[in-house]
Amino acid sequence: MSKKTAVQIDDLTVAYNYKPVLWDIDLEIPEGVLMAIVGPNGAGKSTLIKSVLGILKPIAGSVSIYGKSYEKQRSLVAYVPQKGSVDWDFPTTALDVVMMGTYGSLGWVKRPRQKEKKAALEALEQVGMLPFKNRQISQLSGGQQQRIFLARALVQDASIYFMDEPFQGVDATTEIAIINILKALRKANKTVIVVHHDLQTVPEYFDWVTFLNVKKIATGPVKDIFNDDNLTKTYGINYKVSIQK
Amino acid sequence: MSSAQLEIQLIASLVAIACAIPGTFLVLRKMAMISDAISHSILPGIVVGFFITQDLNSPLLIVLAALTGVITVVLVEQIQKTGLVKEDTAIGLVFPALFSIGVIMIAKNANDVHLDVDAVLLGELAFAPFDRLLISGVDVGPKSLWIIGSILVITVALLFAFFKELKLSTFDAGLAASLGFSPVIIHYGLMTVASVTTVGAFDAVGAILVVALMITPAASAYLLTTDLKKMLFLSIFFGVFSAISGYWVAHWLDASIAGSITTILGLLFLVVYLFAPSKGLIAVMYREKQQKIEVSLLTFLLHLKNHTEENERHVNHLREHINWQKIRAKTVVDLALKNNMITIDKHIVSLTEKGDDFTSQAIDYIITNEDAQIEDMKDDFFLFRG
Amino acid sequence: MDLLEYIELVINDYTLRTITLGTAILGAVTGMLGSFAVLRKQSLLGDAISHAALPGIALAFLLTGAKESNTLLLGALISGLIGTFWIRGIITKTHLKSDTALGLILSLFFGFGILLLTFIQKQPNANQAGLDKYLFGQAATLVESDVWLMAIVTGLCLIVLLLFWKEFKILLFDKDYANTLGFNTKTIDILITSFIVLAIVLGLQTVGVVLMSAMLLAPAAAARQWTNSLSMMVFLAALFGAFSGVFGTAISATQNNLSTGPVIVIVASVFVIFSFIFSPNRGLLFRQIRFIKNRRDLELHKTLSFMFNIAKTHENISHPHTIKILNNFQGYTKGTLKKLVDKNYVTLNGNMWSLTQEGFETASNLYNQQLKKDE
Repeated sequence: MSKKTAVQIDDLTVAYNYKPVLWDIDLEIPEGVLMAIVGPNGAGKSTLIKSVLGILKPIAGSVSIYGKSYEKQRSLVAYVPQKGSVDWDFPTTALDVVMMGTYGSLGWVKRPRQKEKKAALEALEQVGMLPFKNRQISQLSGGQQQRIFLARALVQDASIYFMDEPFQGVDATTEIAIINILKALRKANKTVIVVHHDLQTVPEYFDWVTFLNVKKIATGPVKDIFNDDNLTKTYGINYKVSIQK
Repeated sequence: MSSAQLEIQLIASLVAIACAIPGTFLVLRKMAMISDAISHSILPGIVVGFFITQDLNSPLLIVLAALTGVITVVLVEQIQKTGLVKEDTAIGLVFPALFSIGVIMIAKNANDVHLDVDAVLLGELAFAPFDRLLISGVDVGPKSLWIIGSILVITVALLFAFFKELKLSTFDAGLAASLGFSPVIIHYGLMTVASVTTVGAFDAVGAILVVALMITPAASAYLLTTDLKKMLFLSIFFGVFSAISGYWVAHWLDASIAGSITTILGLLFLVVYLFAPSKGLIAVMYREKQQKIEVSLLTFLLHLKNHTEENERHVNHLREHINWQKIRAKTVVDLALKNNMITIDKHIVSLTEKGDDFTSQAIDYIITNEDAQIEDMKDDFFLFRG
Repeated sequence: MDLLEYIELVINDYTLRTITLGTAILGAVTGMLGSFAVLRKQSLLGDAISHAALPGIALAFLLTGAKESNTLLLGALISGLIGTFWIRGIITKTHLKSDTALGLILSLFFGFGILLLTFIQKQPNANQAGLDKYLFGQAATLVESDVWLMAIVTGLCLIVLLLFWKEFKILLFDKDYANTLGFNTKTIDILITSFIVLAIVLGLQTVGVVLMSAMLLAPAAAARQWTNSLSMMVFLAALFGAFSGVFGTAISATQNNLSTGPVIVIVASVFVIFSFIFSPNRGLLFRQIRFIKNRRDLELHKTLSFMFNIAKTHENISHPHTIKILNNFQGYTKGTLKKLVDKNYVTLNGNMWSLTQEGFETASNLYNQQLKKDE
């Protein structure tokens, strides 16, 4: 394959309280794919992206982003955490949250200015949330909150996007809006890695998939490996979904 | 030992027991800070009760003050319900306000009230034997002894009568509710007992010691056992032990009895916190270190199992790839060798049959989410632990 | 004494001026930092820290024999920090929960402090006068140097706050995300916690260990109700805190026998109650009013859509109908009909009603919205 490798994971092992949750993961994610990470609850999907992003410390193994360590390549990576991980009653507005995406490139102490604000407004426009820019975040619906999070990552203008269940608890309109943005990102040769729950939509939304259950079960193009065999290996007893190809 | 000294120790011990019982449930139900709130906010209740009865030991005063305690709990819950502030903020807003009202009421009526804020907060156990209960002219003992004794009898009676319900609603509120034990009644019952105990104990040992006597013995016991009955007995034992030894420390230092009982409780907790066999700090840190090496060992073995190709199993490659420092890598390899899990031949590491067995079983357990089994398995396989 | 006289007194009287300034600055800095404590869900940590500071004061006195407040406050700071870290140790290393850890440290440290205080009182050389002011606070003992210390710490705190504003904000809102952006969240965390401990320790002399936590929480909880912006919340909290200090001092100065601490706490609590009830967006009163208004609107809409359904069947939408047919309908009352007339949706003619063009359009909009929602 001529494509560059965006993310390379070698022998990654992660343990919570010294209880292993991810074992010896080797994974190569090529540039420009839209990849789903699927697996049952507790399979370590969120853990995987959190340890790639340095939020969790692995006990063994290494991660590289375009051949260098994550610390050196931070500016190439954006993150959309699970919506439930923050307090939405926090006193701040939608625009303010999106502006946080610019903090990383600003570094310590420097304040966001007109340029950053403009970028944030553009990102809001992209996710269709411009009319809500001054809305207190607790007054947004679940889908709107998710779009705010997505906009915050878009502002980072990264090459690789990690998203933790962006379709969790959103309305149909938002789901379509989000997937369109993800597809646009892929078109721009960005790499998008999504922790995903809904197996039915995998073939429709994604072109690349990783099956994960503590160990890596399989990884590759959806059309080649998204089959009953791998699903059974991942989810246990005879797991079958009807896949329309 | 004079009879006054004996009486003081007896009162202190009864207070300790009366506090340990509700305290155990408060700790288990993650409501320890409620006892702090109650102990402060009963102050206005005590003051109003004192205006009416003019007697700190009157039962009416105890009822009024205990009512203030329950009102505090209700008020906190009502504020939480509005969603205007986060849960613990509600507690932090209510009790200082009520306590301040109490302090101001005392200050404004300083001439009529022989009540001292310091005494309410700190208690004065040393004076307890001087306030005697006279029944038709016969001295039957200190009033405090009778009050705390009656509260203790009621608490124990309630504990025996509702032990099953309390236990169930503490560990599985959902099941308790579905079996028809109203969690609300049990919750408020417990809050009432805690309030009454706090009020009954305050004039002997003061509000803050009540908190210490409720939480510390129970927390120490919780580090030693998870069995509810054992926990109750241990809490009572710790409470009584601290009460009596605290008294003698105070005697020796000529300092506040409440203060020294609390200090003994603190030392007791410190010892348990450090040395408790499986949940103490030292045991936990030792186990974490051991598990860290053992998990590393598992990782290492799994890597060997996953990669049959020789270059992946070369000693140098392993170190580089698994990304460990030299010392850790050496510890892990040594442990594997000692346990006959691997062999090294010309810098190529291979799993032995035993190592292979162990790894396969471990994978099975982890994937089926039965991690607890791994600990048992280690006992079967390991000759030496990490 | 009237207000003007009192203000004159504050300006001219050295002691009163010092106290007023001191409590105002203290209220401002605790209100500011309290906002962070509240948003981090660490409301009760302040209570534990302030109680944990007591043995530090006593030990500092025992070791140095010093009475001047700076030495004692240093002791308080150290023991407050030890308490804070021990609480963390208990939560992370054992299975005891945070409420138990807080209660333990709070009561144990405080009890130990009391032991030391009573021990000190019995010492023959005890010039211990004034150590017990740290229990409930005594603003009257504030001197100019104390106020200067508070002002310096507040200034420092303001500078740090302005410099690291965006770092504080992102840590409070989304710690993991801040991590991925390359911010060392541990450093920011320690910075915030240290300032909170510092502010508590500064307040001990004025408000006392028992009530100090309220100074952190109350202004912040009140401020949160009035705004949806973090900077405004911090500003308002500082303002409420300062006013609580000034009013509290004024009340206790003009009355006999009132320590300042409890009065300041009561004033701050009044701010909280007022904010809970009367804040326009979140307040309970307006929430209730909105609730009633929504229910009324709902009834109005019900009546209107009922009329719409009748009118729809006729060629001419303004075809008159008798009021009687509305009677068996729930939402209809004389009041709602009158409102509809006032809004110019309906015209009345004797006991006949008819929809206006405007009424018909409003109703059909409502109707379409309803359809959309059902989809």
